[in-house]
Amino acid sequence: MAKPIILNICHLYPNLMDTYGDKGNILTIQRRCEWRGIKTILSQVSINDSLTSDDFDIYFFGGGQDRQQIIVGEDLQKKAKGIKKSIENGAVLLSICGGYQLLQNYFKTLEGKEIKGTGLFDAHTLGSKDRMIQNLMIEIDTDLQSEIKNVYPSTNYKLQTTNLIGFENHSGKTYLGKKTQPLGQVVIGSGNNGDDKTEGAIYKNAFGCYLHGSLLPKNPHFADFLIAKALERRHGKVNLKPLDDTIEWMAHESAVKKSRS
Amino acid sequence: MDLKLFFAVFVGKLISFLIKSTGGGATAAPGLYALKIDPNLIQKLSRKIPNGSILISGTNGKTTTSRLAFDILSSKYKIIHNRQGSNLLRGIASTLIKHSSLNGSINARTAIWEVDEAVLPQALEVTAAKHIVLLNLFRDQLDRYGEVDSIRNKWQKALKRLPQSSTLILNADDPGISILKNYFKGKTIFFGVSDDKTDLPKVDEVGDITHCLNCGSSLIFKTTLSAHLGKYFCSKCSFKRPNPQISASKLKFKSDFSTKLYLSIDDKRSTIHYSLPGLYNVYNVLAATALGNSLKVNSSNILSTIKNFSAAFGRFQKIEINDKNIFIFLIKNPTGANEVLRAISILPRFHLLAALNDNFADGKDVSWIWDTNWEILKNKTKNVWVGGTRRWDLAIRLKYAGIRLSKKNIYKEGIYSIKASLAQLNNKDTLVILPTYTALLTLQKSLTSMEKGITKWQNQ
Repeated sequence: MAKPIILNICHLYPNLMDTYGDKGNILTIQRRCEWRGIKTILSQVSINDSLTSDDFDIYFFGGGQDRQQIIVGEDLQKKAKGIKKSIENGAVLLSICGGYQLLQNYFKTLEGKEIKGTGLFDAHTLGSKDRMIQNLMIEIDTDLQSEIKNVYPSTNYKLQTTNLIGFENHSGKTYLGKKTQPLGQVVIGSGNNGDDKTEGAIYKNAFGCYLHGSLLPKNPHFADFLIAKALERRHGKVNLKPLDDTIEWMAHESAVKKSRS
Repeated sequence: MDLKLFFAVFVGKLISFLIKSTGGGATAAPGLYALKIDPNLIQKLSRKIPNGSILISGTNGKTTTSRLAFDILSSKYKIIHNRQGSNLLRGIASTLIKHSSLNGSINARTAIWEVDEAVLPQALEVTAAKHIVLLNLFRDQLDRYGEVDSIRNKWQKALKRLPQSSTLILNADDPGISILKNYFKGKTIFFGVSDDKTDLPKVDEVGDITHCLNCGSSLIFKTTLSAHLGKYFCSKCSFKRPNPQISASKLKFKSDFSTKLYLSIDDKRSTIHYSLPGLYNVYNVLAATALGNSLKVNSSNILSTIKNFSAAFGRFQKIEINDKNIFIFLIKNPTGANEVLRAISILPRFHLLAALNDNFADGKDVSWIWDTNWEILKNKTKNVWVGGTRRWDLAIRLKYAGIRLSKKNIYKEGIYSIKASLAQLNNKDTLVILPTYTALLTLQKSLTSMEKGITKWQNQ
């Protein structure tokens, strides 16, 4: 019998960047793997822990409070190289809100204080007085759309959309570098900065965005895409077994309906 | 005579009369309009209350604590309290108007105000606060309140301006509350739980405080009882959990949702057995006791009031319909919901109905259900029903927690879900209902229309 496939997950600063219910993303990756007989190993890497970069297939980095974000920002400098190397080697990363901001060049607060990022995404964030708080729906980048369609194994539920739906809650406005590709275009909500209609950023298999919710539970197509990408690095193309996602898509649709109302 | 005040009180009373005569229940409207006429109405009327007012705030427990404090203090004083209504300034104004004569005199010794966390700084300025009880601060409806740190910063600034003659009553076990002593010049009283563990099952906690709020070094928890509540000390500076003057120990949580513990008031220890569930209510009992003790109510009166107290509407409610036991617990944020889940997990297998709404009063962001440990109910439930405007989000949450749920049991309307679940219960079965705030209001209507006998609902 073939050895079971193992997915190594790294949760960055789970004790500090855990304020906005992003934990559901980890749970979604774990369950959707387990239901398919793929084993997952979850490592939690926080302040002062060393990062052994090549071990991880997928990284997750969530949002936290401002105070925590400053503490994490300092420690992250020691891990920046390891994460970058891992991404260059094809690992997958999903970062949300505070985590996304810390992986950019810098964050400048309203008072003018600059928090250094890691520069994985060529982008920066400026503190603002407006808080962008609402449901957020985006149309995903076109290349990604076709990749998702290839990966997402539809069964009793035909994939009707590759859009992502979530909830944003941030006051930082993110501006992308000229060559930085956004994760998608805003359909409803503010996204990166509320002005240029972009939301999130992509660098190789690293993704950043402002989508809480949690994001992955009600966007199962994106969850499966991340899982497939993460497995690809060591196992080549893996065909994911279809799952019954009726409830997931009902939640997706009801959230979309809600955001339109 | 203050004509502005007279006119504001008059209009407030008139609106209140009109609402009442049309059968309405709004408690915010009289205050809202009266404040438009005289924005200083609360200051002016508060000055007329001889013993000043008592403010009670915090993320969780303020309703229950205020009600218990009211009962305890009523044995000694005539008190007014925003019991029925809104915990915003308009609710305070409405209550003041109700108890004021047209010339602005108030027939009460003191006032108890339950105050929304975001409103506390304003309330401190206008209510002539003599006692301030601060329970806890947890992440809650981040779309409405923002992060815990930002609320605490506002509290700190407001407490600095408070006169020294006031008394602060603080939770020793929450570092985010005990630190507030540093921002206040007057007397501080602490309450807390002495035990190092509880007999409730453990859950994955979501703590909002990991670092010292004084110096920023890491905060070390010797004991964690819930979220970031416990015994803590700073790894670098002198900040640590203060010793509480009012404390509870040897906590025993029973499956009939009563609690037994030792209650110590200034080193005098008594046993008490009361009918409220969970660790979170221990803190409410402690806070109300500390307040009663500070206001010179004797301990035997405090103890007997606690024994006879039953919880506020929906916070914890037991009803019986045709021999079927129904327990209702309000859920509204991760820490509160986690404590409720811990409390109900000691029941034998039960049926579960959970309802998640995303109206303004519930919070429009439902992400918090992912910070809540539904996993603790795995293998504890028989049938599960889900309702509310965001029922599908909750359904996935339960699915990913490993709780079995049939798609047939997901209902849009509260009334159908409650009817469906009741229809499937056998006699002697237990149904636990976990609604968010506005779902609770819908549920109340459904249950009242189904069972005319439940008059307790309105009277509370």
